[in-house]
This record gives sequence, C-alpha cells and structure tokens, in this order.
Amino acid sequence: MIVKLGKTILDLIKNIKEVFILFLNILYWIFFGPFKGKFIQLTSVFNQMIFVGIRSILIVFFVSMFTGIVLAMQSAYQLQKMGAVLYVATLVAVSLCRELGPVLTALVVAGRSGSAIAAELGTMKVSEQIEALETMAINPVRFLAAPRFLALFFMLPCLTILGNISGIFGGFLVGTGSLNINPDLYMQTTFKYLALKDIYTGLIKSFIFGMIIALIGCYEGLNTKGGSEGVGKATTRSVVISFVLIILADCIVTTIFYFSKL
Amino acid sequence: MQEKEVIISLKNVSKVFQGKKTIDNVSFDILKGETFVIMGCSGSGKSTLLRLMTGILRPDEGSIFIKGKDISKISHDELDEVRKTFGMCFQYSALLDSLTVEENVALPLKEHTKLADEIIRIIIKMKLSLVGLRGYENYYPSQISGGMRKRVGLARAIALDPDIVFYDEPTSGLDPVVGGVTDKLIKDLSQKLIITSVVVTHDMQSVFNIADKIIMVHKGEIVEFGTPEQIKNSSNPYIKQFINGSPVGPIDFFKEDIAIEEALGL
Repeated sequence: MIVKLGKTILDLIKNIKEVFILFLNILYWIFFGPFKGKFIQLTSVFNQMIFVGIRSILIVFFVSMFTGIVLAMQSAYQLQKMGAVLYVATLVAVSLCRELGPVLTALVVAGRSGSAIAAELGTMKVSEQIEALETMAINPVRFLAAPRFLALFFMLPCLTILGNISGIFGGFLVGTGSLNINPDLYMQTTFKYLALKDIYTGLIKSFIFGMIIALIGCYEGLNTKGGSEGVGKATTRSVVISFVLIILADCIVTTIFYFSKL
Repeated sequence: MQEKEVIISLKNVSKVFQGKKTIDNVSFDILKGETFVIMGCSGSGKSTLLRLMTGILRPDEGSIFIKGKDISKISHDELDEVRKTFGMCFQYSALLDSLTVEENVALPLKEHTKLADEIIRIIIKMKLSLVGLRGYENYYPSQISGGMRKRVGLARAIALDPDIVFYDEPTSGLDPVVGGVTDKLIKDLSQKLIITSVVVTHDMQSVFNIADKIIMVHKGEIVEFGTPEQIKNSSNPYIKQFINGSPVGPIDFFKEDIAIEEALGL
C-alpha cells in the first residue's frame, strides 16, 4: 500500500510539474514567440473566444440568475426574523460579486468549455493530428493551447461580470416581486454597500480560474493516450481536476484577501 | 550507386520501450531520389523507425542523420528547420478536422512561408490536381472518403516541395485501384520531382511496384536488405514467409509480444 501511495504522490508531482511547464510554454509563445516571427493566430483566438465566451452567455445567465433568486429567498428567510429584509439586496450583490459569481461561472465554463477543449485536443492526439502538426514543424502549444488559454483568460472575467449582473437581477426579481421592496430602493441599497473592491477581487479570481480551466483542459487533451476510451477519461479528468482546483484556488485567494483586508 | 549522395543515414540506432528493445542496433543509408521501403509485420518496429526518422521519438542509442544533421542531438528549433524539408503522409491521413481540405493543405504554407494568399491558393490548386482532388477545396475531412483523405494528406505533405516524403502505410485501407493510383503517384513524385520516398508498408504488391530498395524488419532488427529482385529471389525464410503470407515459419505470430505503443499506433 505504501508503494502504491508513493507512486501516486510521484505521479502527482510529475503532473504538477508538467502542467507548470505547459504554462511556461504558453507564456513563452505569447510573449517571446512574436520576436521569433512565430505569432499566435488571431483568428484562432477569436474563434475560441466565440466558443468559450459568446456561446456560454445563455447558460451563465440562467445559472447566475437562478442562484440570485435562491440566494435572495434564502437570505430573506433569515433576515425577515430580524426585520432587515431590505439588506437582501446587499447580501445578494456582495456574495455574488465576491464569491458566487466568479466560482459558479468558472464551474459552468469548466464543465462546458474545459471538457470540450480536452475532448477536442484528445481526439486530435489519438488520431495523430498533433503528431502531424509536429512533423510540419508547427508547435502544438503555440497552435492549439495558446489561443485557448488567451480566449479563456479574457472571456471568463467577461462572463463573470455578466453572471454578477444576472445574479443581481435574479435577486431584484425576488426583492421587488415577493418581498415588496421598492425597485429604486433595492438598487440603491445594492450599490450603497457594494464597493469596487468587491468587484475586482471577484474578477482577479476569475482570471485565475480562466487560466486553470485552459491549462487543465489543454494538458489533459495533449496527454491523452489510448484511443476513444482515453479521450473519455481525459475529458472526465479535466472536469474533475478543474473543479477541485477552482475551489482550492478560490479558498487560497479568499484567504489572502481576507487577511490583507481586501 | 556511389555518385548518389546519402540523404538519410541511421547508425546503430536502438530504442527501448518499457524495458523492451523495439529497435535493436539498426543501421542503413537512404540515397537521394530513391524509393526506400521498410516492410515487416505489425509490431516489428517499422512504424517506430519512421517516428525516429521524423524526430517524433528520439533514439536511446545511435545517431540519425538527415541531410548531414544528426536529428537525435540537435535542438528543437534546428529540428523544426529540418522538418520543413520533409513531408509526412500518415496512415489515417491525420488531417485537422476543423479545417477544410484547402486550409489543411495551406497550413504548412501559411505557417512557414510569407507567400500572398492568392499564390497560396494557386499552389493548393496545383497540389490538389496532382493528387486528383481539384474541386474538393471546401470540403471538410469528414465529408470525403478515407482514400481521398489520404490523398489530401499527401498533398499536404508535398505542399512545401520537400526533398523527402515519409509514407506510413500509404495503401492500407484503400481499394486495389486507388492503391495502384497511389503507388503510381509515389513513383511519379520521386521520379519527376526527385523526391526521396521512405515508405513503411506490408502491402507486398505495392512494395514491388514502387521500391528501389527494400529492408525487412522483424522484432526491431533488419533481417534482409536488397533490391526488389533480390528480395523476390531471396532464400531468407523470413522473406519467404512474409511474401507468401504463410502462418508457419520463423515469424511466430502467436508468440509475438506486440509492444503496446505499436498496437495503439502511438
């Protein structure tokens, strides 16, 4: 058993090292590649942005709006006892912008786009397409991974902002519809207590989550082995690992913000 | 023979997979312009040899020289420079699914040259008509047949006018007529454009159609080497069994321990 445990830990260290190397590789192609005349294809970046960003708008909107609704109702249940129903607006806005917006959006995008990246690159790997790129002297990291990384890095914060707005909208529906708060008053209370730092700490998180989703999706895809079963495994692993890492990173970043009073 | 220059040279190359020698001390030279066939059973190490020559795998021992450069020792950037001078035709074509036929063939041109789009379009038309696929520019790989995909793969391989083209099982999975057309294509290319062709196959008819020189690989070692005539008349029991497709002989199929990478095509 100890042997097995040791092997698992060694594998884990190896995987972390390889993901980190992939990360450095992507940064190299983004920042130093252009000096060597090797550019990342902009059309490819835009295509990925459409896929991970624009096509996720609807699902992010609905998930965040329903969360906002649920959050408003659950907090109203407790705040009613203290006669502070008005503060539902603040609670919904702050908890969404600081925490739930970035995390939920990241989880949705990891499930939707991260898995798709792993499946696509995995299929390319097992059908020799990655090998073909290499023999054509086209670096797969520059050609495939870097555009996906850039697309997720920039689109996830955009989706998070959308998620925040739709979550607040969900809370607004409950607040004005069922709790009988005046719509003007609801919006005023929302913005009175929502500080700018609440929004940007949330956005900092979503930049980090975007990198995690792209890195894990690309890593699992580019390291797929063993035919179609391998593609299935890579897809599952990419989702599971991204989920765990997103929550872990959220915990770490929140701790840092908490102790630095942000 | 002597006046022709050596373009690819393997010297004492060995490759180990999971403690098992897939390639064992292999050496041979390939001359410029010749069609060199590597034949052998599945799992004999012939595809591994091809991957070693294209730099996808690096040998554990020995050196591989392509146009005088030892690709087992040079840096990644230098390897990429060497790679621009050869094309590779994959067994299952390995076209990018997300790109059309035209974009697939254009890919090496767009990546490695500064040609204008109109010129690239003309080159693509030329390459596609060379493989008999003009008019299919806007199809996706999933919309055309396997044989067509293979020919698009060949068009892509010769897009940059390479000196060397590697073929991995160019006729497998094709009907006899298309197989014959592919053979003729390989022959034409090597004779008209003086392209050196390295072909990995176990299609015996194709071997004798196209080969200038043949090596037979078994369990990572070269068991026979010669011209098609010499191979046809060889008394080597491996060759005899291989040509006749006999289940009885020195190539023991049932005891063959096929390397997992080979079986998965990795």
